[in-house]
Amino acid sequence: PASSSRSCRLEEVPLEVLRQRESKWLDMLNNWDKWMAKKHKKIRLRCQKGIPPSLRGRAWQYLSGSKVKLEQNMGKFDELDLLTGDPKWLDVIERDLHRQFPFHEMFVSRGGHGQQDLFRVLKAYTLYRPEEGYCQAQAPIAAVLLMHMPAEQAFWCLVQICEKYLPGYYSEKLEAIQLDGQILFSLLHKVSPVAYKHLSKQKIDPILYMTEWFMCAFSRTLPWSSVLRVWDMFFCEGVKIIFRVGLVLLKHTLGSSDKLKSCQGQYETMERLRALSPKIMQEAFLVQEV
Amino acid sequence: PAAAMPFPSSGADDAFDYLFKIILIGDSNVGKTCVVHRFKTGQYNEKQQNPIGVDFTVRSMDIDGKKVKIQVWDTAGQERFRTITQSYYRSAHGAILAYDLTRRSTFESIPHWIHEIEKYGAANLVMMLIGNKSDSLDKRQVLFEDACTLAEKHGLLAVLETSAKEAQNIEEVFTLMAKELIARNTLQLQGENPLNSFSLDSRPVIASPSVEKTQCSC
Repeated sequence: PASSSRSCRLEEVPLEVLRQRESKWLDMLNNWDKWMAKKHKKIRLRCQKGIPPSLRGRAWQYLSGSKVKLEQNMGKFDELDLLTGDPKWLDVIERDLHRQFPFHEMFVSRGGHGQQDLFRVLKAYTLYRPEEGYCQAQAPIAAVLLMHMPAEQAFWCLVQICEKYLPGYYSEKLEAIQLDGQILFSLLHKVSPVAYKHLSKQKIDPILYMTEWFMCAFSRTLPWSSVLRVWDMFFCEGVKIIFRVGLVLLKHTLGSSDKLKSCQGQYETMERLRALSPKIMQEAFLVQEV
Repeated sequence: PAAAMPFPSSGADDAFDYLFKIILIGDSNVGKTCVVHRFKTGQYNEKQQNPIGVDFTVRSMDIDGKKVKIQVWDTAGQERFRTITQSYYRSAHGAILAYDLTRRSTFESIPHWIHEIEKYGAANLVMMLIGNKSDSLDKRQVLFEDACTLAEKHGLLAVLETSAKEAQNIEEVFTLMAKELIARNTLQLQGENPLNSFSLDSRPVIASPSVEKTQCSC
């Protein structure tokens, strides 16, 4: 929900622990190739524990490979930034700028820096991949990135998400997201037969509840602190984290006959999935379940 | 009356006489989500995030003593989401086609949206046209007469100019739609041809005090 971005309070990590984590992460980032080659498991573990907020933006760029991508394409973003762009895309992008995290201080004012950078990043992508253009679900993704890094860095990180992490999600026919909906549903069969049976019986197509979850990588669904923890893991481990989060939410919402008592019908079920219990979305609970 | 009150989220076993599913479609940023939000909560929220995919809202209305449950399926307007939203046309009873009366291009897309409905929706689906943002009449780019002509040409139920911002005609849109669906339902139950229900007078003339002639019955 929109309001989630207003509360940026993270789970209380003792200051001392935080300092320790920061120095560990600094060491990793300074010797990145070595760590990636030899101690990938350790990186994964540290991503699961949560990246220190002060280093999050940098870490995401290393994890996603967008840092390398930028270095390989020096000046490319500036080049795209100077171009006008196809009016067909610009029109849609401009109409979406004020609709991303409208309560976040960065995006709150029309034409403010946040919205300007969002425009630059999204426009640059339509020039970088003209055959792909712009998809409305890219805006929240880019906005989250901009909260953590400058426009050029956010652009390359977006490129990595669109091409490496969630390939095809934002493309013309949206086929990849529909396919992943089916995959999620068959995984649910194993993870929670009760939830699976209920959704089948109610004829609730996965596309109905998972489109926004997956296309926005839960950035509009979870409380803010959980979004960040999920993204930390997502950048390290990829799309399977998105699947796992989806499965945890479904299982803990519809996974027992007790839970199903109050949502017998299709619309009650949909309502329930739209307004998930805060308890299961809480950072500590969710991350441990994933 | 129930119609004027926001309805709390639905319980599993509250009874109703009718249940209608209505889809809300139209170009991006014509104000679909604000219309639904106004209908559901009675409020206007300028800071509205755009839906990704399909979203839905339920509200109960009291219409001529009948309890009518209305589900509104709000859709993402961007072209590429149509492959996802199309699958929800089939089971809809009604469709509200929305354009922004301050932006001509959104009105010019309407025939295209009608075509989508004809292609993917049920044969007897009731269609209605709304021109949103009637609070900005100084920026008007679409004449009400043009909207009426279009509606007539395609056999739509009615055209209303609305403002989610100033709460103009929002209740009326859904009331009108619900009344028509009830009328057709009744006819169908009596075994008559549902197409004849077009002749049924279930369309009260509503003129909101601030905006004259905001509705035409086609």
